[in-house]
Amino acid sequence: MQTSDLRAMLLLVQWDLMRMWRRRIFVLMRITWFAVQVSIFGLALTAMVRFRGIVSAQLDYYHFYLLGVYTSMLFSISVSNAYEVAEEFEEGIIEYHLTLPIKRRVLSLGRAVGGGLAAFIFTLPMYAIVLMLLGGGPPEAIAVSLAASAVFSVGIVGLVLSLVLSVKSGDATDILFGIIDAVIVRLSTIFYPAVVLSRVAPYYYAALVNPLSHLVDLARTFFFFEEYRVLAIASPVTMAAYLLGLAAGLVSLAIYIVERKLEGGGWR
Amino acid sequence: MGVAVKIAGFTKKFGNVVAVNNLNLEIYEGEMFGLLGPNGSGKSTTLLTIATVYKPTSGDIYVFGHSVTKEDDIVRGYVGIAFQEPKAMWVDTPYELLLWHAKIVGYSSSGAKQVVREVMEKLELWEHRNKQFYQLSGGTRKKLEIAKVLIQRPKLAIFDEPTAQVDVLTKHALWDVVRAMRDEGSTIIVATNDMFEAERICERIAIIYKGELRALGTVKELKDRVPGGDVVEVSFEGSKERVEKVLSKLDGMGKLILQNDRIVAYLNRGEERAAEIVSTLLEAGVRVKRIMVQEPTLDDVFFYFTGARLGES
Repeated sequence: MQTSDLRAMLLLVQWDLMRMWRRRIFVLMRITWFAVQVSIFGLALTAMVRFRGIVSAQLDYYHFYLLGVYTSMLFSISVSNAYEVAEEFEEGIIEYHLTLPIKRRVLSLGRAVGGGLAAFIFTLPMYAIVLMLLGGGPPEAIAVSLAASAVFSVGIVGLVLSLVLSVKSGDATDILFGIIDAVIVRLSTIFYPAVVLSRVAPYYYAALVNPLSHLVDLARTFFFFEEYRVLAIASPVTMAAYLLGLAAGLVSLAIYIVERKLEGGGWR
Repeated sequence: MGVAVKIAGFTKKFGNVVAVNNLNLEIYEGEMFGLLGPNGSGKSTTLLTIATVYKPTSGDIYVFGHSVTKEDDIVRGYVGIAFQEPKAMWVDTPYELLLWHAKIVGYSSSGAKQVVREVMEKLELWEHRNKQFYQLSGGTRKKLEIAKVLIQRPKLAIFDEPTAQVDVLTKHALWDVVRAMRDEGSTIIVATNDMFEAERICERIAIIYKGELRALGTVKELKDRVPGGDVVEVSFEGSKERVEKVLSKLDGMGKLILQNDRIVAYLNRGEERAAEIVSTLLEAGVRVKRIMVQEPTLDDVFFYFTGARLGES
């Protein structure tokens, strides 16, 4: 008696979604925090910031900010999977998963997709708030931004799995992902357009390769194409290809680590 | 009888620490096999390597002919394990955990619900089904771990200290469950540091100490290998000196201790020699009132092969 690869993967996805459901109070708190962030802080910030010269008057900073703060939230929630995986390792859940009668490839892929989808679903209410504050958007913009967000989230969880299962330390996980969460968001076009960053060379080049920049600028390009295209870091095709390639690469890395390197124990 | 598990030159190191050193043994299909040793002896490392959680540093382990290093996907299809420490997050509920487990090991959704209920009722877990993991007692947590294996019904079932921290009644119930699994066709490996458990449920035992195999055999074989391990106590009527003189002439009598109307002899294969002792004494005109044969305990066996008492090591 053995389950099929597809069913095993779906069950692993279900595992992560069940985890998220158990954290529903935490989810609700984050959504509330997000609503306050975009309604009070976002509006206050917009009152102080204006685009000058390079874009039309129809694009204001508030719209720019909304998609940025959603992307940063999606990134943070995806990264927070690291703490979940670390806790699972400490409680022996990862060892238990390693003994299941499924392929390691399926295990790693299922956890990456499950963790990514859980993070993505977690942020859907926030996306809805953003959409409402944007006054809606073209269907293709909504479809592309949602699809790109899901792909991005799966890729980030792939990275998280690779790093957490390699460092095998709760303390190292806390430090590493605390830094990643804080630094990566800043070194991107989440809150500042690339043209502004170009005045500070290291920031600019970091933003160019940063997947957050690609995700947020892809979404902005589809939502405010005419106004935003001069600010985006690359063409939509390039950004989409970058996100897909990165997600595939990071998930492949997670598969490699789980299949070839990962052993139980050694955490504490 | 076919070989279920072949451990061939298996060594596992964690950094500079050698957890298991060049272990070689075979476990046969359908047997109840015990790994006996203190904590840190390498039992769990060996079991977790069989379950493909660890990778051998050198050597290999074959499960029904498949290598854990090269064919781990296939090996996992044969193996189910009940961990020493139950694996769950504090918010998990037994029912949800077991239902998910049943599905991932291959049951359909309806089949999973049915088997989970059956197993939970069998192990008296049903009333705890909706409690959170942190609310469960140590014994209930152990049962939850064993329930996973019962649901899976693997060809090779591994139990790592299945009755540690469990009350006596539950221990007996769990042993019955493990025996029933064997009767239904599974090969069973039990790791334990409980002599009584090893003696009660295992047909063959490997004594592992400091990562090395010290002895292997049935409980009886191991006991018989302890020189002078059997104790034969004879109560008699008659001259002590005469009894001592007669018995000391017998081959392989070992140490003799005279106590009033009793004589205690330490020898091998005591149950076989008892008849010889009685007939020799009768021939010498000594009236034998009572004879008692005691085997060495498994603790004595462990001491003989390792130089350490299990409780002390």
